Amino acid sequence: MKNRVRELREKREWSQGELGERLAVSRQTVNAIETGKYDPSLPLAFKIGKLFGQRIEALFEFDEETR
Amino acid sequence: MTDQARKRYQIRIMLAIAIYVVVLLGVWPLAKSTADAWLKALYALAPVPPILYVIWLMAQRVLASDELEQRTHLVGLGVAAAAASVFGIVSGFLAAANVLEPDAAAAALIWVFPLMIVAYSIGQLVSARRYGTTPCIEEGMPLALRFLYVVVLFAGLAAYLYYRKHNLDAASTALGMAVGVGVCAVGFSIWRHLRKRSSQQ
Repeated sequence: MKNRVRELREKREWSQGELGERLAVSRQTVNAIETGKYDPSLPLAFKIGKLFGQRIEALFEFDEETR
Repeated sequence: MTDQARKRYQIRIMLAIAIYVVVLLGVWPLAKSTADAWLKALYALAPVPPILYVIWLMAQRVLASDELEQRTHLVGLGVAAAAASVFGIVSGFLAAANVLEPDAAAAALIWVFPLMIVAYSIGQLVSARRYGTTPCIEEGMPLALRFLYVVVLFAGLAAYLYYRKHNLDAASTALGMAVGVGVCAVGFSIWRHLRKRSSQQ
């Protein structure tokens, strides 16, 4: 799944650790989400969306090739 | 889990293992020379509380993990369960066919927990790599320091068995374990170094 988490985080000048703290996940989990190696659960995706003031569809894009 | 909490967790695990070894050497052997059944059972089960404490610490650790970490813990647990099952089945069949002496079969059960810990760590390591994250065994206290701790523990055990108990066979086994862990530690460090170098290129 492609996502805009890194772009939005960098826009706010947050480190991965800072974002992790806000989402109550580890820095490594943030990194795995940003690099597309891990697709977050629905509650976590909603939490990310709420934090950045975005709808989930605007944040995550389903990528058929990576399935 | 914060770095502070992670270090605290690792120190507690190391302390519990040290207590386990001390109890195993100092209290557990009394079970063989005690006639009273209750006292015998008490001495025989004396090493269990430190292990229960380790299991409780590990459970707390998993509960404090986030969803991705819990997923890697689940894979580790699956690998550990598979390894323990295979070990149990193999030793059970060998004991049932009298290939293994009953004493050896009983002693083999003591190795189930250490085997599970090793299999758990390997499973979690492989799973964490898949997500491009670091497994919990590589976090907190430097890994080399923890390996050194295990080597010192086994070497101490070998010295105790040789000088105090005059048991050359058991001392050789403990020394072999110390050397084995040391060799694994060096091999693991070389592998990590090479992996780091190749990822930088």
